[in-house]
Amino acid sequence: MLLAVLGMAFVCLFVGSSHMSFSECIQALLNRSTAANNRIIWKIRMPRVIAAIIAGAGLSVSGLIMQTNLNNSMASPSTLGVSNAAVFGANLSIIAFAGGFLDTGSHLANFDVGANPYSTSLMAFVFSVVSILLILFLCGTRSFSPNVVVLAGIAIGSVWTAATTILQFYATDVGLSAAVVWNFGDLGRATYRTDLIMLVTVGVGLVFFLFMSRRFDALLSGDAVAVSVGVNVKALRFVSMLLASMITAVCVSFLGIIGFVGIICPHIVKKFFGQEHFWSISASALCGSLLLLVADTLSRSMGSGSALPVGAITSMLGAPFFIAIIFSKGRRR
Amino acid sequence: MLEIKGLSFAYENDRPVLKGVDMALEDGQVGILLGRNGAGKSTLLKIITGVLKPSGGSVLFNGQDLLAMTRRERAALVAYVPQQIDFGDLTVYQTVLTGRVSYYSIKPSKSDLDVVGRVIAEMDLSDVSCRNVQELSGGERQKVAIARALAQEPKVLVFDEPTGNLDIANELLIIKEAKKIACSKNITVFSSIHDLNQAMYFGDKFFFMKDGSIKYTGNSEVFSPEIIRDVYGVEASLVGDRGEKYINYYKELRND
Repeated sequence: MLLAVLGMAFVCLFVGSSHMSFSECIQALLNRSTAANNRIIWKIRMPRVIAAIIAGAGLSVSGLIMQTNLNNSMASPSTLGVSNAAVFGANLSIIAFAGGFLDTGSHLANFDVGANPYSTSLMAFVFSVVSILLILFLCGTRSFSPNVVVLAGIAIGSVWTAATTILQFYATDVGLSAAVVWNFGDLGRATYRTDLIMLVTVGVGLVFFLFMSRRFDALLSGDAVAVSVGVNVKALRFVSMLLASMITAVCVSFLGIIGFVGIICPHIVKKFFGQEHFWSISASALCGSLLLLVADTLSRSMGSGSALPVGAITSMLGAPFFIAIIFSKGRRR
Repeated sequence: MLEIKGLSFAYENDRPVLKGVDMALEDGQVGILLGRNGAGKSTLLKIITGVLKPSGGSVLFNGQDLLAMTRRERAALVAYVPQQIDFGDLTVYQTVLTGRVSYYSIKPSKSDLDVVGRVIAEMDLSDVSCRNVQELSGGERQKVAIARALAQEPKVLVFDEPTGNLDIANELLIIKEAKKIACSKNITVFSSIHDLNQAMYFGDKFFFMKDGSIKYTGNSEVFSPEIIRDVYGVEASLVGDRGEKYINYYKELRND
């Protein structure tokens, strides 16, 4: 799987609307091509490939951890309304405060032109964190019971969605279209700086989740058994949900909504490798990276000049495969 | 010795579930907790295993206060086998290994793996150790749950209705295993059970709960029509067969 991710990363690096040949890409990778080609590879494609690897891994692992914590196979980063809160924050920035993020990052001409590309991301992130903390605070009063967390997430998520709808109702045509474009999700917004921020967040989360992997295994048998074998269930659930939500918040804030990765990838991995978390966390991370790399490559090859929304591609690509996996009778081991 | 003194608990302040429970169980004994649904049996077991915190009282094992211990310390003394078990998508080996969670951080040591291997062999699960637990029968799954509990190397093993969902063949299998564990390893077993005849065969000491406290305690002699009537509100009779007692509580149905 690691080889597949690396292989796909190279494919993703070599595919794009500029129609560079393979040898030109290699030359550009070695910084020996024309200035334009070098710039395309190192300033545009490389950050988005790195973003696909990091965000894919982060969103996928967040989904897996939420499914274990909430004992709900349909749980995903959107279960807690994190994505909905991010959308509201971004829409507020774009529509109400003219966030200056009208370029989607997909067009060479608009690259690096945004007035303040971090303001929308910052707003999205702030609202995501506020939403996470609100839900976890509310659920703390009920010992983080999985059902309460899911229901609180759905309820608060729908409040953000309603607020976004009201915001969009009052938006100008330009503001509305800019907000909708942000919602699509686009890896082209990634820069080395945003990649670094995502890497630190996803890295911290992955290390923590791997360190706690045996405790997550115990949690599969229910809270009572997990407590009896020595797991601090309440603290584990709070910290891991917070980290999983933060990973989602950071990725969504920088890249927009990239749906379904958090549901599809963990299920595929569980089907083939079982649920032992040390391996399923690692495999989910690689599976998420792979899916997002494939989706991004396709989105850039199919868009005739401009990239299609990568979130739509992940769903269209993953959903049929996901359904086939769910209905297949093959055993995982 | 497992001792419980003045234990009280309430889910809501005005509705106490346990009202000063007192009991004691010697090492290696099988104690059976009996009583109607809602009498507080599961609550008592969950307090012993650390799942719930009582509002008052103490739980001592050989003089050590279980409630004052850290989770890890308590997990090395007390293990729990619930009635409803969902193992997730793990193999038997992986499931039993979760019983050692309190003994290591990220990677199990050789001694952890040795314990898991030994317990799996003792529970006669070696042939299925690489199989997914979800593919096993109800009895085998219950054995896996017991194996996981034994992997904790506990001194007290707590069962909540261990045979509640099993057919009679698996029911006997689990009771036999539990009795064998208590005798061979000198582990104190404390279990709630609904079937009085099963309880009489399984247990050494019996605790009848009513209205949040232990009302009757004793060995198998404690079973009487009067106590059964008081605790369960059911007319029953004791019948002898080849020197063993059985409780017939279907008399009322026949008389209807």
